[in-house]
Amino acid sequence: MSHITNPLATVEQLYSRSTLNALPQDLQDAIFLSMQSLTQAAGLLLRLPQSVTAQANVVLARYWVTISWPFIDEFSDISAASLFLVAKLSSHPTTPRDLCNVYAYLLSPLSPLFRPSAADPPSTTPDKTLYYLSEPGYSEAHARILALESRILCALSFDTHVALPHGLAVTYLKALDFLGVSPPAPLAQRVVGYLNTALLSPQLLYLTHQPSALAVAAIYNAAKDLGAKMPECAWWEVFDVDREELGFLVVGMRSVEGAVRAGREKDISAELHEGNMITRAGIETEMRKRGMVLGNGVNTSGSSENAAPLTEEDMLMRSLDERADQMDS
Amino acid sequence: MAGKSRWADTEEDAELEAKLKRDKEEKKRLKAEEKARKAAAEAEWEQKRIASRAQQEQALATEPTQHTNSEPATKRRRGKATDEDSSTGESSAKLLRFEAPTWKPTASVENYDKLNDIEEGTYGWVARAKDLRTGKVVALKRLKLDEAVNGAATSRAGLPETGLREIQILKDCSHRNIVGLHEVVLNDAAASYSNTNRKEPIEAVFLVLEFVEHDLKSILEDMAEPFLASEVKTLLRQLGEGVAYLHAHWILHRDLKTSNLLLNNRGQLKIADFGMARYVGDPAPPKLTQLVVTLWYRSPELLLGASTYDASVDMWSVGCIFGELLAREPLLQGRNEVDALSKIFELCGVPTEESWPGFRRLPNARSLRLPSSSNAPAAVTGSMIRAKFPLLTAAGCQLLNALLSLDPRNRPSAADMLRHEYFTQDPKPKHEAMFPTFPSKAGQERRRRRETPNAPGRGQKAPASVDFSGIFAGREREERGGGFSLRMI
Repeated sequence: MSHITNPLATVEQLYSRSTLNALPQDLQDAIFLSMQSLTQAAGLLLRLPQSVTAQANVVLARYWVTISWPFIDEFSDISAASLFLVAKLSSHPTTPRDLCNVYAYLLSPLSPLFRPSAADPPSTTPDKTLYYLSEPGYSEAHARILALESRILCALSFDTHVALPHGLAVTYLKALDFLGVSPPAPLAQRVVGYLNTALLSPQLLYLTHQPSALAVAAIYNAAKDLGAKMPECAWWEVFDVDREELGFLVVGMRSVEGAVRAGREKDISAELHEGNMITRAGIETEMRKRGMVLGNGVNTSGSSENAAPLTEEDMLMRSLDERADQMDS
Repeated sequence: MAGKSRWADTEEDAELEAKLKRDKEEKKRLKAEEKARKAAAEAEWEQKRIASRAQQEQALATEPTQHTNSEPATKRRRGKATDEDSSTGESSAKLLRFEAPTWKPTASVENYDKLNDIEEGTYGWVARAKDLRTGKVVALKRLKLDEAVNGAATSRAGLPETGLREIQILKDCSHRNIVGLHEVVLNDAAASYSNTNRKEPIEAVFLVLEFVEHDLKSILEDMAEPFLASEVKTLLRQLGEGVAYLHAHWILHRDLKTSNLLLNNRGQLKIADFGMARYVGDPAPPKLTQLVVTLWYRSPELLLGASTYDASVDMWSVGCIFGELLAREPLLQGRNEVDALSKIFELCGVPTEESWPGFRRLPNARSLRLPSSSNAPAAVTGSMIRAKFPLLTAAGCQLLNALLSLDPRNRPSAADMLRHEYFTQDPKPKHEAMFPTFPSKAGQERRRRRETPNAPGRGQKAPASVDFSGIFAGREREERGGGFSLRMI
């Protein structure tokens, strides 16, 4: 059974994350989104199959719910370590060297990843020094990733099993007679698209629902988008998904696009990335800024109850952070 | 209803009894109703399904875009939630719910009290320990980490994937013939720090395994009398069931041998040590490492350097174990790859293009010089198994022969093996409960260091090409003299 089921996050885990976390929800979502996008981009550049990268996304999400601000690791390192760990256990291992090089490039100013607008067109001769990873830089990055690898494993009690819904979705499409009658490509493609997009969902859909439910919801959405004719009855029950679950997932999957777009715009205005991957330092600055704003009574982040302790906590966080950095070097 | 007895004569008692009876009847009625309703709903649902399927097919054939009224559920549902109960077919369908485990920070090994070492060798360290929370006795296996992991900065690849795979596979497995993994724990420092988000390298990872008293290897070494035929059958069947479970779940064990088979005092065999195991697909992925399986249990295609192989490598090992259970000693004790292969050919005959099509194309077969099949006597290409196990029944011989087929395609799958008539013939497999028990060793089942060779080390390089040209170097000449000599054992 383990091939089609996943461990799921408990209610307590999700609850404590959303309520007891000092970090406002929108920042959490922005960080999560950028980590997941970074992982996907790295997977592409490392020529890993999507099955591996998607598993890394899920492992990352599981780790994400176990940690809270102040974070001891840089977000890009968390992404790299998840990808490294999952690839290592798959049949497509990647070397630490390749991994570090790819991340160095993706985090450099030359990478187009977080710059969709392409404000400055790439020059004909890119400045290689911008993403050149020196030997000491490499060994440092490598050490960070390995340390994080063990931390991820500890947090997940060494369970790295991920069942992806993609294969199930194809089976379901077959069962619904969608493959083999007409050209199946558009529908199947759309289904896979929904499933991959759901990896980025700030609702952490892969941690709250089993693969069968995800697959059914993706098929439902895709069929609706393309106007495919579905059975009149409650066909999802054949695949052990009830209406409640399906309804939630259908909405959840459809909302990812909006969340991503909104997140992007907001982040850019908040100068969180400055066209780069979100960093801890960036979050810290943003928090401080918000702490001041909150103190003045103009609440933008929607978490007024956090207002008072925020600055204090902020200080503590920073000192912890600095200590962590010292231990790093 | 109770009469006028002196035990139950009050009115209340009577009333109570009557009430109970009423309740019971009511329940019965409800049950029956429920049943009928369910059946009706099911039938209706089935009908609906068939109808809609037909409709769907029709629609697909004619016009694929007509769907507006088939857009159901989620929107309509919001308004009328009560509707759900009345719409029969949907609410009564029984949905499969999956049990979903979760994750939590790894605990510390401090919860276990070490009782004694069981085994300390090249594999790492196994100890008997007591769970302080439950008092249960478990086996603690310390995962072998690369030396460098301790100084995390210098290690190259982090935690070894073999260990991580072992954990993952054991976590995914649940079968009575596979050793159970309770949890994974860490050295205290690492465990307590990981909970507080601090940085502390992992020094040790322990697998908390189900404690099993014996391993088959030590039993075989110590027993005065060999296993009875019925006992061999029980063991082999349990082994087959465990292996069949693994293969059905796309797992290759890749290091089956008697020292990795545990036996408890209730006659249950359990497969252990998944350090070499991995998930594979079908067809198996190419470029699997050839450096798997302990030499004495390694199949000829692996020795000849095949890099694509499948579950049949495990079945070869099962064959070797079968032979070992009968003979009480390892069947094919090769000193090295060359010796191992020549011992295999001695026992199973020399492969020919007919008995193993295409074996010549295997990487290491190029250097192999076999006696030319035209002038070789039949004995050279035939199997010696029948002669080696004179006490084995014909069915048993046939099964052993099949398991030790040189051509991997001819080996039965584990599921096939279990259907073999060997297991249904007399003597029947002995019931596990009737299995003899074995004395514990003085040091509480402390296992002796064994002289079995070890599974190939991780990261060891496969020899570029093994020179097998020497195997039959002397044979050709020998043949011209007094003919090929058989060794009867």
